[in-house]
Formats: sequence, C-alpha cells, structure tokens
Amino acid sequence: MGYNLNTLVPTAFLILMSVGSNYGQFCSTSFEGNIISLEQNIPLESAVVEVIGSNMIVTSNADGYFKLEGLCPDSIIKIKISHINCHDYFREIDLNKSLFENFYLDHKFEELSEIILTDDKINDLSTSSRAFSISELDKERYSDSGLAMLLEKISGVNTLTTGNKVAKPVIHGMFGSRVGIIYDGVMLENQQWGQDHAPNIDLNAFDRIRVIKGASVLKYSGSNPGGLIIIDSRPPKITDTITGKTIINSSSNGRGGSIISSITSTKKSGIFFRSQFTLKKNGDLSSPNYILSNTGSNEKNISITVGKNYSKSNIRAILSYFNSEIGILKSSHVGNIKDLLRAIESDTPGVINDFSYNINYPNQDNTHYTASLDYNYFFDFDKKLGLKYSFQLNKRKEYDLRIGDFKNIPSLDLNLSTQRINSNYTWSNLFNEFTNGIFFELQDNYSTPGTGVKRLIPDYLNTKFGGYFISTLKLNRRLNFGLGFRYEYNSNDVYKYYRNSRWENENYEERLGNYVINEVLSQKLIRKKVIFNTFSSNAGFFNEFKNKYSASIQYNYTERSPNIAEMFSGGLHHSLASIEYGDPFLKKEKTHKILFDFEKNDGKFNFRINPYFSYSDDYILAQPAGFEQTIRGAFPVWEYSPISSIFKGVDLDFVYRTKDNIQFKNSLSWVDAKNYETKEQLINIPPLVINNEIRIISDNFKNFNAIIEHKFVDKQNLFPNNNTMTTVIESGEKISKVVDISTPPDAYNLFNLNLNWGPYNFVSSNIYFGLSIDNVMNKAYRNYLNRLRFYSDEAGRNFLFQIKIKY
Amino acid sequence: MLKNIYFKATLLSIVLLLISCDKDDTPEAENEMEVLNKTVIVVTKLSDDSSETYNFEVEEHDHGNDHSVLPQTQDDDEHGDHTVIELKSGSEYKFEISFLNDTDPNNIIDMTLEVINEKDEHHVHYELAGNGIEIESYSGDTIDSNGNALNLVTKWTTSTAAEIEVEAYLIHQPTSKTGNTRDDFGGATDVEIEFEAHVE
Repeated sequence: MGYNLNTLVPTAFLILMSVGSNYGQFCSTSFEGNIISLEQNIPLESAVVEVIGSNMIVTSNADGYFKLEGLCPDSIIKIKISHINCHDYFREIDLNKSLFENFYLDHKFEELSEIILTDDKINDLSTSSRAFSISELDKERYSDSGLAMLLEKISGVNTLTTGNKVAKPVIHGMFGSRVGIIYDGVMLENQQWGQDHAPNIDLNAFDRIRVIKGASVLKYSGSNPGGLIIIDSRPPKITDTITGKTIINSSSNGRGGSIISSITSTKKSGIFFRSQFTLKKNGDLSSPNYILSNTGSNEKNISITVGKNYSKSNIRAILSYFNSEIGILKSSHVGNIKDLLRAIESDTPGVINDFSYNINYPNQDNTHYTASLDYNYFFDFDKKLGLKYSFQLNKRKEYDLRIGDFKNIPSLDLNLSTQRINSNYTWSNLFNEFTNGIFFELQDNYSTPGTGVKRLIPDYLNTKFGGYFISTLKLNRRLNFGLGFRYEYNSNDVYKYYRNSRWENENYEERLGNYVINEVLSQKLIRKKVIFNTFSSNAGFFNEFKNKYSASIQYNYTERSPNIAEMFSGGLHHSLASIEYGDPFLKKEKTHKILFDFEKNDGKFNFRINPYFSYSDDYILAQPAGFEQTIRGAFPVWEYSPISSIFKGVDLDFVYRTKDNIQFKNSLSWVDAKNYETKEQLINIPPLVINNEIRIISDNFKNFNAIIEHKFVDKQNLFPNNNTMTTVIESGEKISKVVDISTPPDAYNLFNLNLNWGPYNFVSSNIYFGLSIDNVMNKAYRNYLNRLRFYSDEAGRNFLFQIKIKY
Repeated sequence: MLKNIYFKATLLSIVLLLISCDKDDTPEAENEMEVLNKTVIVVTKLSDDSSETYNFEVEEHDHGNDHSVLPQTQDDDEHGDHTVIELKSGSEYKFEISFLNDTDPNNIIDMTLEVINEKDEHHVHYELAGNGIEIESYSGDTIDSNGNALNLVTKWTTSTAAEIEVEAYLIHQPTSKTGNTRDDFGGATDVEIEFEAHVE
C-alpha cells in the first residue's frame, strides 16, 4: 500500500471528531435519499431522519423520499433514521463521497436491526459484484418448497431438478461445483458434484439470503465462476427481548404440510440464544393428469445457536441437523436403453399407483450435521479479527430397485466429513477497506462397504489450504475499485478401484500402473495423490452518476480444481440409462468472465441490465463416449472431458411503481453456451425465461396485498445432439430406432397467484395469512432442466395455505 | 497489527504440520453381488434328450465417439456375430434359462434362485423377429402367486426352416405378465441378451 495505515486511520478519526463543530455555519449542500421497507420493498412514509449533533430533522414523504438541506460540503455527518415499525439506525455519511443513498429498513418483528445499502460497495462481501437479496415475504412463501425454488425468483438463476423435490441452483448456466453455497460463513460441503444431489440446507434456519451472480466472493471461495449463494443469520440485538416466528404450511398437491418455528432470546448482558426447527411431509405429488408415484418426501431439521456479545468481541456457536428422505419417481428406474426409449415414446409414466405417503425405492436419504464456532474481536477503530472453526458431516444413502438380499441395502452409502478453520482480518478507513485471511480444510470421504455396487465416488482425503486478500478502494467521489486474490492448495489422496476391463480399455497401465497397491478379483486398487494449486482473482470498477444511475464492470479469473466425481466417478445412472466415468488426468478449469451492470435505482421506473461473457479453458463437461455392453444391453457411456467453452448471456430487470402502490416487475434471462472449438451447444443450459409480476398493495384494505405472477419458459433451441440408436423388435421385425434424449420439451406459460393478509393482532403477536396457487391453469408441461423429464409431466396445480405468527 | 502477524504465523505452522495428513485406511473391494453378469440357456431336444448349453457373458467396451453405432458383440461368438442356436424344423425343445453372478470365479452365485424367490416381481420374455417358432411354459417352470408362469422353463416348437433373431429379457417388476411384445410388460429390464435361432 502506498500510505501508512497507522497514521491514516487516526487522521480519519480526528476528522470525524471535528464534525460536530461545523454545524453552526451556514452551508448549502444537501443530502437526499429514499427509505424503503426491506420486507415488502415499498417506500416507508414518516420515517424520521435526524442529523445527530444538530437540530436538523426531516421526515420521509409518501414515496419514502427525504432531503437534508443546509449541510456543509465535504463534511461528515452522523444520521439517525427512525420509524415506528423499525429499529433506530445510525450511520455516518461522508458528504465528500455521497449525496444520495437508498436505505432499506428491516421491520421490528425481525430480530434484526440492520439496514442494507442497496449497493454493496462496502459490505462484508468486499466485492464490486452486485448482491441480490431475497425479501422476507418471498422467503416465507417458499419456506415449504426449498431454497432452489426460491432462488428462481432472481433473474439468471434457474434450477436443475431430478423429479420435483431434488433441486439445485443454476446461475448463469452453471451449476454443481461451479456454484457455491455459503451458510453462516461456511462453504456447504455435500455431494454437490452429482446432478441429482440437492444442497442439504434448510433456508428457514437463516435470516438473509443473497446471491452473487457470476462471480466468486474470494473471501469464501475462488472456484465458483457460476456464482455464490450466501445465506446467514444476522447478529442479534443487545437488549432483553424474546422474539419468534412460526409458519404453518398446508399444500393440496401431495397433501402435505410443514411447521417451521424459531425463537430468539437476547439479553442486555449480550447473551443470546436461538433455536429453530422445520418439519415437512408430503405424499405423492400429482401432475395434471396422473399421480407421480413415489414422490413423497420427509424433512426434519433443527438448529441451535448460542452466543455472547461483549463490547469489543463476540462469540457464537451453532449446531444444526438436517435430514431429508426423498422418494424418486418410480417409473424413472429403467433397466436399459430400450426401457428408456419406451418411456420417451409413452405419454404417461410406466407406473401409476394410488396416492400414498409411503416412500418406496428408489429414494434418497440425506443427513447433514454442522457444528461451528465463531469468534470476532474488534480492535481500536474499524479493525476486526475473525476466527472460525466448522465441522460438517454429510451422510447420503441412495436406494435402488434391487433384488434378493440387497433389496434393503443402499446402492450408494457415502459419508463425507469436513473440518475447516479460517481466520480473517479486516481493516478499513473512510475510503478503503481491506480483508485478508487464511484457511485450512480437511475432508474425508468414506463409502460404507457392502453395498454390492462399485463405489460411484472413491474414498479420499482432501487437504486444502490457502489465503486471500481483498480490497475495496474509493478512488473519488463516485468511483470505487475492488481488487482481490485467492490462492488454494488442494490435494486429494485417492483410493480407487478400477475394473480390469476398464483399465485395459483406457490403457491405464502406462500412466497409473505405478500407483497400483492391490489387486483383487477383476479389480485393481490404485492410490494416488492428485494435487492442484489454484489462483483466482477479480477486479472491478463501480461508478455512480447523476444520483440515480450506477454502472459497474467486473473481471473475474477463476481456477477450479476438478472435483472428485469429474476425476474418479464410475457407475450407472438408472434414470438416464447411462454409465458415467471420470477422467483421472483432468487439469484445473480456468475461466475468464466479464460482467457489466448498468442500473437506475430511483423514482418510479427502475431497471438493471446485466450482460456477461465468459471463456473457459479445460472446462469439464460430461460427454458421450461410446458404449459399454452389459448383460442388460448396451449402455451409452458418458465421460468427463475438458473442452473450451464460451458462455454469453444477459439478465434484465425492470420495475415500475405507480402512485397507487401497484408495482410491475419484469425480468428476463438468456444464456448461450458453446464448445468453443466444435461450436456445439452445451447440454442443460437454461432456455430463455421471462418473469412478470404485478404486486398490488391496497391502501383501502391496509392488511392485504396480492401478487400475480406469470412465467414464460421458452423451448430451448440451443442443445447438443446426444441421441443414440437402438434396435427393437416391432411387428415381428427388427428395426432401428432413435433414442431421443436431446430434444428439449416445448415452451410453456405458468401463472401463480399469491394473496397475503395481515398483520392481525392476537395475544401480543401478529398473525399473517397467505394463500398461494401455483400453476393456476393446471398446465401439463415438461421442463428441460428436469432430468426425469422423459418420464412424466411436472406437478400440477397446488394450493398453499400459510399461517404466519410473529411474536 | 503485529500481534496479528504472530498469530497468523502460528496458525500457518499448525497448518503446515497438518498437511502431512494421509488417508491410511485402504478401502475394501466392493463386489457387485446382485449383478447378473452371466446368462445360461440349456437347450434340450425332447425327442432324444440331447442337450446343449449356451453361455451369454458380456463385458465389452466400444470406445468410438460415435453414439449411432451399436456394438452387437457378445462373448460367446468369435467373430462379433450373434450366438446361434441350431434347431431342427418340426421339433420340440426345452429351453431352461438361468442367471448367474460369476464376478468371483470361486463363488458363482445362481441368481435364478432370487428370481424364483421373488417370483411375483419377475418375468422372462422371448421376443422373436419372425415366424416359425411357438413358445410356451413347460413343466418345471415357476408359477407366481397369481398363476402366471415365469418362463424360466419353456417349450419351443419349431415348424418350418427359418432364421429368427431372438431377444430374451428378464424383467423386474413388470406392470403386466401377459403380452406379446416387450412393451406389453413394462417394468425394468434386468437382463437383455440376443441370439439367432436357426431352424433347419
């Protein structure tokens, strides 16, 4: 750094101290802004804005707008914002840097007292990328359906599903290891590599959900060119309060329901306690024309947080348990490619039984335990040291339709334990903020033997360590610059059994022969250490102008180590009738990505335009690689292999508010992904999606609002041809037929309705009611991003009734 | 500031101590226990009780990148052609099909017993491309609890000379046990083998 921090920080402090004396003078600078409810995203009227140390007080008008006049230029003021429904908020404003800001206020019934600035230019994420927050109302509405479905509200975010309950987020056309989920500061470690492995996380255990599209947040990870989902709970207040919330959901489709409840107790002494649980159950879901047999699911989660806030430090411990049992559509279990062909040619699933709550085979049983300990210490003025230890244990069992003694034995039984310790140190002054940190992680994967099926994922021990440095600099009044680096060392100590036939076919003897440590039956066991060093960086400019526009450009360079599945998987996917193999010689994946963002955030009409472009070398993709003959017939083989890829896309968001509290929202996302060399399209890239929404908040019926949603999903016309041929006997003759696994399903329109009533006072608590109808028209459709789309339609109409009690 | 550096140095040294961690437990081999990797058909001519055994054991790889060409090779044939079962015209044959797991040559498991144990959940179907052979269940066959024969033992009656391609399936959890084509039975295919019946 070009200057001495030790002298600069006290200087800034002195400037702050001298502010008060300036108020007596006559000045003509003004500071203005809007105050907006974070929960409902509507303007807050009658919020009081006060300049501390003066007698200057203004209130916000019906549009949430306020203006402070007669301020002195280039000074620093301290303001306090208060509103009857919200906690008081204090902040310093440097008039040299900013004359306009939007403030988002949280409601009091939440245990939070924080305001989020619309722009995250200086925040805990230290990135010049833009964060998208999910409103409390949406979070509650999707409390039953889960995280991935909720995130679909954000433009550029899609979900890749396996049936109806297994859903994983896709950001800018990337998913799996390319999208990270950070919960309470910890990277979620579960079997994220598989397409049918949904994140084991309960969104209801957290207060705040943010999405960083298309960029890594180097503080947490350097290997997520797709983006990051950051979920956390906010620090509690230091007062004597007990708050809580209970949501009861009841849905018609699947005849299911859930109870979600949390309670938070805080003390003046700084001690706080929070506990939360979720119980969910549903039976077989229904498509418009038939029951989707064996699609029931159960979920039970609990988390407990205890901690204490001291004047200069805080400590927090979290324990959580997550368990989900998910039935997989019965008819999606096929024996071979002819079965798959039969399913594709049939309009209805091969098995339709009566409605049932029973979960039979195939199914998945996932359990995730987390324990973490946090400690933060605040030095002097704006310096903070954080330490964190976390332990995660993820158990995953997958049951297939099997015969004989193995009927009740899982065909996949994985135990993944991860321990991580990290530190971070942040120092800042009025102009700049710097954070650095180091981490160390140890991850052990163990497959319980005796499944009678070869391990899909080999046993391994992964060791990772590294460090990062990130900075956010204010270059002048309007221009910010962010810069960050992250280095990771990543070593996998892998034990992998290869079948001799595969070994010979791939000619592994030459390159892996030295690593063979054992030979049994028709298999060879190798032990190999696979080591990667990755170096990721990003840089971005963020500029505000004319008080209402902002523009940013960001460049990200991401190096991602191949994950264990990409290198070493080997096994049969029943629903796709295909065999998947890893490539043990993959190199790290290198992605250059440029994101632009242009937005207007003022007045009745707001917009955000967000185009992006990326180029990757050694982009790892599963591709067709011939056939393997088994006693069940010939199976297509898919192998992970490196390609060069280009992604280009755009996300658009428009919001228009009328005076009468009616809000129109429109968002569009489009992405095109190709193999750079062959120009072939990549598989599973989301089609064009357009979301429209009308939100009506009635003045006459104060306690009512309605949201009408329309979603258009186009037919994906950009897809690779991975079709195969097979022969079948028809009318006594043997003929060849195409197994069309490539052609995406038709475009569709969906309509949803969401009505909310409340709050109503009832014994010192507030009660809210909600009624949602999803798929109002009961449209039968198939979704390109559902891996089971060959077998059945998506779920049909659902009525969801919600009771929310906040106390 | 300085304290922090010391702290980090300490932490880093702990890290460097820990990175020597190795995974020490050698995982045991996983045997594919339930896999039916071998099918045997014993063909007995009923008139003179002479029999011949045909083995179908498949583990082949084809590593072209072309998905449109299907390999048709099976182990028992030397030239990549189908196994041929020679039959005489105007005769009756008993076909006994059995399913084995011989992953471990020292411990060959007869999975046919599992099929018989779960008789309600299994069915064998022969699908023919051509006319000239009649197939029906034969004595010694297993009958499930609904009175449906599993076709583990069948009688093949030939009429005129013909070369007929045959697909044999072991079907798991068929939706129906009556029908003429593979499509009629639903369920998931556990075994699929191909051969040619040459009727002379």
